[in-house]
Amino acid sequence: MDKQEDMERRLSREQLLKVAAAAGGASLLGGRVDAAHAALDWLNADSGRLQVLDWAGYGNDGGQAMFAQYVKAHPKNKPQFTYMGNESDALAKIHAGLKPDLFRPYVGWVKYFAKSGLVQPWDPKQISNFKHLNPFMVKAGQYKGKQYGIPDDWGFDAILYRSDKVHPKARSWGLLFDERYKGRIAWFDDLNMLTIAGLYLGFDKPWRQTDAQLKKSQKLLKSKKHLVRLIWSSETNLWEAFGSGEVWIAYAWPNDWVQMKKKLKVVYMRPREKPVAWVGMFMLLKGTKRPHLAHAYVNAWSAARSGKWLEDNYGYGHANTLARPSSSDLLKALRLTDPRAVTEPNAHLDRDIPRRALYARMWEEVKAS
Amino acid sequence: MAIADAGSSSQRAFRPRRLRLDLTTPTLLGLPLAWLGVFFLVPIAIVAAYSFDVYSLDPGPHGFTLTAWHDFLHSSVYLALFWKSVKLSLTVSAIIVVLAYPLAYYLALSGTKRKYILLLLLIAPFLTSYLLRVLAWKVILGNQGVVNTFLFWTGLRSPDHPLSQLLYSRFAVMLVLGYIWLPFVALPIFVSLESLDRRLLEAASDLGASRLQAFRRVTLPLSLPGVVAAFLFVFIPTLGEFVTPSLVGGTSGYLYGNQIVDLFGTGFPDWETGSVLAIFLLGVVAVLTVVFARFLQPRQVVAD
Amino acid sequence: MDVALSKNGARLLRLFFIVVVAFLYAPIVILLIFSFNKSAVPTFPLSGFTLHWYRAFLANSEIRGALETSAIIAALSSAGAVVLGVLASIALTRHRFRIKPAVSALLLSPLVIPYVVFGISLLLLFHTLGVPRSLLTVVIGHIVISLPYTILVLVPRLDQIDVSLEEAAFDLGASRLRTFRSITLPLILPAVVSAFLIAFTTSFDEYAVASFVVGTRVTFPIYLYSALRFPSQLPQVIAVAVVVLVLSLAVVVAAEVGRRFVERRFVALESSG
Repeated sequence: MDKQEDMERRLSREQLLKVAAAAGGASLLGGRVDAAHAALDWLNADSGRLQVLDWAGYGNDGGQAMFAQYVKAHPKNKPQFTYMGNESDALAKIHAGLKPDLFRPYVGWVKYFAKSGLVQPWDPKQISNFKHLNPFMVKAGQYKGKQYGIPDDWGFDAILYRSDKVHPKARSWGLLFDERYKGRIAWFDDLNMLTIAGLYLGFDKPWRQTDAQLKKSQKLLKSKKHLVRLIWSSETNLWEAFGSGEVWIAYAWPNDWVQMKKKLKVVYMRPREKPVAWVGMFMLLKGTKRPHLAHAYVNAWSAARSGKWLEDNYGYGHANTLARPSSSDLLKALRLTDPRAVTEPNAHLDRDIPRRALYARMWEEVKAS
Repeated sequence: MAIADAGSSSQRAFRPRRLRLDLTTPTLLGLPLAWLGVFFLVPIAIVAAYSFDVYSLDPGPHGFTLTAWHDFLHSSVYLALFWKSVKLSLTVSAIIVVLAYPLAYYLALSGTKRKYILLLLLIAPFLTSYLLRVLAWKVILGNQGVVNTFLFWTGLRSPDHPLSQLLYSRFAVMLVLGYIWLPFVALPIFVSLESLDRRLLEAASDLGASRLQAFRRVTLPLSLPGVVAAFLFVFIPTLGEFVTPSLVGGTSGYLYGNQIVDLFGTGFPDWETGSVLAIFLLGVVAVLTVVFARFLQPRQVVAD
Repeated sequence: MDVALSKNGARLLRLFFIVVVAFLYAPIVILLIFSFNKSAVPTFPLSGFTLHWYRAFLANSEIRGALETSAIIAALSSAGAVVLGVLASIALTRHRFRIKPAVSALLLSPLVIPYVVFGISLLLLFHTLGVPRSLLTVVIGHIVISLPYTILVLVPRLDQIDVSLEEAAFDLGASRLRTFRSITLPLILPAVVSAFLIAFTTSFDEYAVASFVVGTRVTFPIYLYSALRFPSQLPQVIAVAVVVLVLSLAVVVAAEVGRRFVERRFVALESSG
């Protein structure tokens, strides 16, 4: 493996020299065209490796165990990662010309992407671990009977707070809007903040709010934004601010709780309005050049061993029903043994927002206000 | 392709042996202008087309419409955000111009022999990495940052009560932007002061003017073009700034530039609105540039 | 008596100058100190000396790859910008044509465009043309933004050169190319080198435009930006930051000193010849 990396490095050295020669020679003296061509090829080259567009923490920045099996089977084609801040960001990147082989939106986006024509269905037969995946989540990955999304990680949107500093008046999403903690609150940079606001306001269909309801949700967020220190878009950014005491209350995911409880007194609160549950769905880009590798990669992620690692280290659930975490704390807190933990009455499973563009625009207005 | 072209046409440009000088003008200018045309003007035109929905990301039907512009101009949100960015940029630019003036004055008029070395000392940080200088401030500010932990360590402040508003605040954005641009603003002011004819000051002094009077009546007015240039050279780029705010700004440091980026990025892609915001910013900058063009003599910046 | 500054005034300003320079360099010095600090988080008190972070960054192929990529992009784009800049500057200084003000305004206009606007413009262009994003698209953008800087450096130098030298060579039967190669180019060479260096540093450091048009391979600023947002490898990044800052300071100083030295010699030559 190291040898190969060495080889790659040497190659890139050579290419570097070639390119430097091309730059100097070709442009200053109007010189050799073939050198210029070599330079161009280098610049344009697609590395040929499996391209994964995924969330921070799921690539070479800590998530290696999840795809170790894949790397073992395909040492010559290690995945190359680009990171997405959220699904909108992934969509923008793909629109802008990024061509990942696969990426991971969450369950609420399955319908959107399936309809968009940007993705193609998977072939479950090529994924040997598929049969162990939670059938309920598998179904949530389907659109018109085809398997567009392969479920893997799952978890919740809920509230993380420091119990030594914060004393909530109620177990409610309202803690994110609590005037007593001005400058200590963090929200997440995503249009689903409007859904959260809708839940808090007690609307029965926060994903399908009427114009009047949306206006109310937006008004709530706008009027409370002055309390917010940070609208985070990467978990490590949140950890940094939370860990160093700038932020005491945050919209957060289970992994944030797992990380923060290592050094701080924190509570991961399930609000009475119910947390929002999500399931990560690998999706395959239409026209990918490496479908075989993409399937192999997802299969590695779907293994029970990977699932256990994810549960133990990140505190997320995993769709593989054979995966069990070692810590019973976690088991209990996240109801990891309960296959229906993500649905009513435990939680609201995130779902498609038909008027997503409108939600997005209203969320942007909140940030800009 | 581009490189090969660049090479061969530089040959082409000088090949004609006995042609008259001005005949080569188009050959010389052809490539640079073509480059800017294709990769600078056309892209901007495309953004403008997007903003009127003449052209669109979505395959659906579209045609010329002013909807996005209408929404923008009637949305108090975006214009308020723009105004917030303007105020912030104005403040930063004004503060650092005021700070930079005495520096330039010292270098240009104190008669120090090492003025160019000192000038280089002043400007050198500007020529190093922008992001790394932001990184430095991120390490310094912050509840567990260098400043606070230093205060804890020396007992000047208890760890329970750190200076908490340093990072993720409008203050952080202004501090970092000021830090980044300060060395650069000194340059145009220095040039205008340096080219000042000292005999004018001597004459003023001979006529009985005090130093302060001479400064107010002679030096300051004559150095004003440099001051205006310095101001604009900071104001214009900081107006569209998004990198610094996104790293140290938090919610209150969110600026117009961030909004543009979000409309093309982490927000659900809304390229039409994003284009409107971009073209509006460009328009404001263009107007400023044209109005103050006579102060923006670029040679003032590079001549030394 | 000095007409511009009293003695005390000069002292005061000198003090102010020292304070500001200290302010400008303090963050860099702080990075330097913490790059040798044992603890993984940059906080006081210092926890001991180590070279570990430097070793770690040298072993980090991701950082090195990003540095290499940026170096290549910077070399290509500054070469391109210098070629275009030389062509344009010669036209602007040696030729007379009616629309010169408009042309020079256009050539310099990338100086004042907010990079975020230019970034999305290029993004839309490549999207419209169906050009996939890659390092090439970054090079194209960087040539545009570096071009005005090269012109700003080259034009004053070309203005200084006595045109009669070129005319003499031309009259003696040298071709245009030959005149350029043996008279003009040597005379403007120092300026060409500084133009190249300015363009190089501009490109090497550029994040905003690159972030919109880069493909899957990352440049150094893009790596840095994500390292700032995902601060898990902070100490290594601080170490690499120190190396890059010190190197670029050294290059800046060396280039400036060298340019002055060479230009002085040319000025001497010109005045004696």
